[in-house]
Formats: sequence, structure tokens, C-alpha cells
Amino acid sequence: MHGAQSKRDLAMELQAQLPILRPSIHTRRANLTVKFQDLYGFTVEGNVDDVNVLNEVREKVRQQGRVWWALEASKGANWYLQPQVSSLSEGIVLKSSLKISALANAMTLKKLIRKGIPPVLRPKVWFSLSGAAKKKSTVPESYYNDLTKAVEGKVTPATRQIDHDLPRTFPGHPWLDTPQGHAALRRVLVGYSFRDSDVGYCQGLNYVAALLLLVMKTEEDAFWMLAVLLENVLVNDCYTNNLSGCHVEQRVFKDLLSKKCPRIAAHLEALEFDVSLVTTEWFLCLFAKSLPSETTLRVWDVLFYEGAKVLFHAALAIFKMKEEDLLLAHQVGDVINIIQRTTHHLFDPDELLTVAFNKIGFMTTNTISKQRKKQEPEVMKELDERLRRLNSLREDDR
Amino acid sequence: MGTGKTSLVLRFVKGQFFHHQEATIGAAFFTQILSVSEATVKFDIWDTAGQERYHSLAPMYYRGAAAAIVVYDISTMDTFARAKKWVQELQKQGEEDAVMTLNFQFILRNPKLVMALVGNKSDLDSKREVQVEEGEEFAQENGMLFMETSAKTAENVNELFYEIAKKLATASPPNPSGVTLNHEETQERRGKLFCCIG
Repeated sequence: MHGAQSKRDLAMELQAQLPILRPSIHTRRANLTVKFQDLYGFTVEGNVDDVNVLNEVREKVRQQGRVWWALEASKGANWYLQPQVSSLSEGIVLKSSLKISALANAMTLKKLIRKGIPPVLRPKVWFSLSGAAKKKSTVPESYYNDLTKAVEGKVTPATRQIDHDLPRTFPGHPWLDTPQGHAALRRVLVGYSFRDSDVGYCQGLNYVAALLLLVMKTEEDAFWMLAVLLENVLVNDCYTNNLSGCHVEQRVFKDLLSKKCPRIAAHLEALEFDVSLVTTEWFLCLFAKSLPSETTLRVWDVLFYEGAKVLFHAALAIFKMKEEDLLLAHQVGDVINIIQRTTHHLFDPDELLTVAFNKIGFMTTNTISKQRKKQEPEVMKELDERLRRLNSLREDDR
Repeated sequence: MGTGKTSLVLRFVKGQFFHHQEATIGAAFFTQILSVSEATVKFDIWDTAGQERYHSLAPMYYRGAAAAIVVYDISTMDTFARAKKWVQELQKQGEEDAVMTLNFQFILRNPKLVMALVGNKSDLDSKREVQVEEGEEFAQENGMLFMETSAKTAENVNELFYEIAKKLATASPPNPSGVTLNHEETQERRGKLFCCIG
């Protein structure tokens, strides 16, 4: 899989070529804002501390790579892709025949993934553990090629919106914002819009698919990752016509915030600040538009293994990390500034994930599912009422 | 979709313009302070996503808003049709909000949402599909401010926000008792601005 070099490997090449930025005395003294490229080629702005953090992250990524190689040497190649190991997170009941070693491996894997999958292994590990490989295996080998050929030249509302959004998806990125990048992203998004016409195309998916393209080695694999994400990993109807799934997630999140961070929840409520104002984008773009790339991908590492509950962990952690600051904020604008400054500067993924998994408390996929079921009727009622009101407006119009 | 809402706000707040502005998901938040002769208005601006399915999120942003800008693109008739629908919804919502929150002083003072209809991309005159008169007429019928703007050339952008600020300031004059805290709070409320699609 590391064979043919394609344009899609650009991110990795860039990473290797980029010199490690060392702050000069001048910048340190003035604490200037500097522009630099991160691990995946995104231009980010930050101060000297941010650059230092990013360099430390590069080093940690290398170390984590060595941990994975060492385990591979002792447990055998691809040990983490064994079905008994990879399916544990899905809550599948253990067969008595399953060896203790498999259980131990699963525990090791969970811990390992929370510490980060090395970028070079991401395509392989994600593809297998997310269920994308399985999904792909149920259709003929030529599915993706046939699909992209069949839909070529077709114009739908979805394709029009996609074409409009291509140059507006991470503009300025050295690969994504090139004709090749646009063409690849277009094929993935257009292909998916025909695969599931209920989703078609929803803004937000452009950012998700773009990051998937940067990580996965091939366009086809990015397509399958998008499919497994929408069809199996995330809540249903997150991106369909009225975003009802997204509304459900927002309500579940609000409930969790009052339980896990009651002081923050009470304070924001007193300010009449609806947390959905900031969290909606997180849940629709899976943080791709808010967090630095490696931090986003570290969240996704866990997302593809443990499921959508990690989105709640990460979102809660962002609030939790800034508890004291948030409690001092007295205006809506201040709250938003605190949150945005925090997310944009979270260059160290461990800073976020440590809080997300150690300070938020235990949550299972099961509890989240129960919460969703509880919220669904209310969301549906609200959306129906709104639709009825809008329709009555249109009736009046006639 | 792509009527230039974010570009319009960015031009006003930062004086910037990008040819390919990132697509907005959910909504983006901006603040700007503007002095008119009557008062100083602090705008808290919610710039919302354009795609139709995002409309289901809109109430969260326009709840409690003091002003709303509905934007269409003069070179696409379709966006004008959608702008009209938005105006209807906002008017209805404005009434409901006023009823629901009567006990709040600031709503009592300013029961009506200040609305502006904006035809953006006036620099694309050669591709014009919506005539100035059409926009003007619809705005007048609905008691809205009207302006054609270009975020690209900056034409009428500051003027638009200036007019809104003036209207907000005259719609609810500052508290004569001059209690600073209250005053600030009132201004903050008054400034919440919802910038939406056409």
C-alpha cells in the first residue's frame, strides 16, 4: 500500500520536507503571531509556544510509531486487525473459545488507539477497524469505479452545491486546493450523493471528506470511510434534509453538559447562551473545521474504534478545560471567544484527549443511545411544528 | 447559498474580502462596534449557513435578535425567491418572540425586529437577474431597509450597517436614567444581529 506514489501522498511528503521551525530570539521576544504549516499541510497561525507544541507533537508521533512497530514485532504483523480484537469495541459477546490473549490484545489496542495511531498506519487501521473494509467487501470490486463513471456529467442540486463548495473547502491547502484535489473531492462527494439520495450532499461533509482524502491513501478508501461514517458510526439522519440527527445530538450534549459540568451549564444558561451555537459545527464537521488537523485526526482515531460517543467526550472536554475562564465570562461574545481560541490552539492532541477520557467520566455507547431515544420524539415534534408553520406561511402566500 | 453573507460581514468587521470564502457550517460569530450620532451600538452578529437544510437550525440564531439582514445575490433570481420566504418567517417569528418575552424590558422597548433586505454582488451588474426596483418594492411592502451592496468592492457595506445601527438607536433611545450597566446591557441586546440567507 506504500507503493505507487500519487498526489494524494502529498500531505505525507510535505510533512517530511517541512523544516522544523525553530523560533528566533526576535519572535520569542515579541511573541509575534507566526504562520506555519502543520503535519497535514494546513497553514495555521499561532505564537511561538504553539510552534514549540507542534514540534513536540511531531516527536510524540514518532515515538508512538515506535511503540506500534515494537508491538507488531512481538505480536505479529497486523495483530490489531484480527476480528476478535477489532470487534470487541462493538460490544460483541465474547465466545468462550476466545483466548484470553485476544482480550488482552483488545485492551492494549484500545489504550493504544487513544494514544494515537501513527499517520502512516492510519489508512490501514481506520479502514479495517471502522468497518469500511467489511462494507466494501459486500459489493463488487468495481463498485466505486462504476459509480463514479455512472454519475459523470449528471447535474443535481447536490452536484451544484458540491461544485460551489469545492474551492471553499480548506482554501489555500497545498493539495486540496488544486485542480486534482478538487476533482478527487468532487468524485467522492458526488458519488456519495448518488449512493444515498436522502443525504445527497450536506455542507460540512466537504470538510470531512477532504480530511479523509488527506489521510487515506486512495480516493476509493476515502469514499468507503465516508460511507461507514454516515451509515454506521454516526447517529442516523445527521445530515439528511432537516438535520434531525444533529438536533438530537445537540440535545443529548446539553444534557451531558449539565450532568458532567453542572457549573458551566448553569452559568451559560444564566447568560442565555445556547451551547449549540458553538457545538453544532463540531458535530457536523467532526471538529475538522475547529481543531488543528492532528488533534482532529486523533479524535477520529478513537471515533472509528469506539464510536460516536467520543465526539461527546471531546466536546465536553473543551468546555471542561476552560471551566474557570468560562465562569468568568459575562457576555455571549466572550464565551465564544474563549471556546474558539481554545479549539484553534489545541495543537497538542493529548491535552484534549487526557481531559476527554480521564476527567469526563465513563460513558458507554449504550447510554448515549438511550439518551438519543429519549430526545428523538421532542426533536421530531419541534421540527414538525416548524415545518407546519412554514407551510402555513406559504399557504397564506397563495 | 453563496450569496456572500460571510463576505459581507467580514468586509464590515475586518475590511477583508476573499474570493473563496470557506463555506459556513452552522453559523459564524462576529462582533463590531459602530458609533452613530444617537448612540454606540455593539453588534453581535450571527452569520448563518446557506444550505436549505440548515434552516432548521435558524431559530437558535434569530431568537432574541434585534435586527436581521436577509441577503440575496442580484445575479441569481432563485436567491431572491428564497429571501422572500425568509422575510415571511422572520416577521412571524418577530411577533411570537415579542409575545413570549413581554416581561423583558428591552423587548417592550423594541418589539419589532429591524429587518434589512440586501442585494449583494452589485459588482455583477452585467449578470443581473434581480432588478433594483424588485428588491426595493418588496422591502418597502415589508417595512424593511433596502440596499444593494458589494462585499467585493465594499460598496454600501458600511452604509448598510450604519443604517441598521441608526434604526436600532432610534427604535429604542438610551435609558434616560443613564444607569451604565443597564445601558450597556440594553445595547448588547439591541445589537444581536442575524444575517441570513437568500
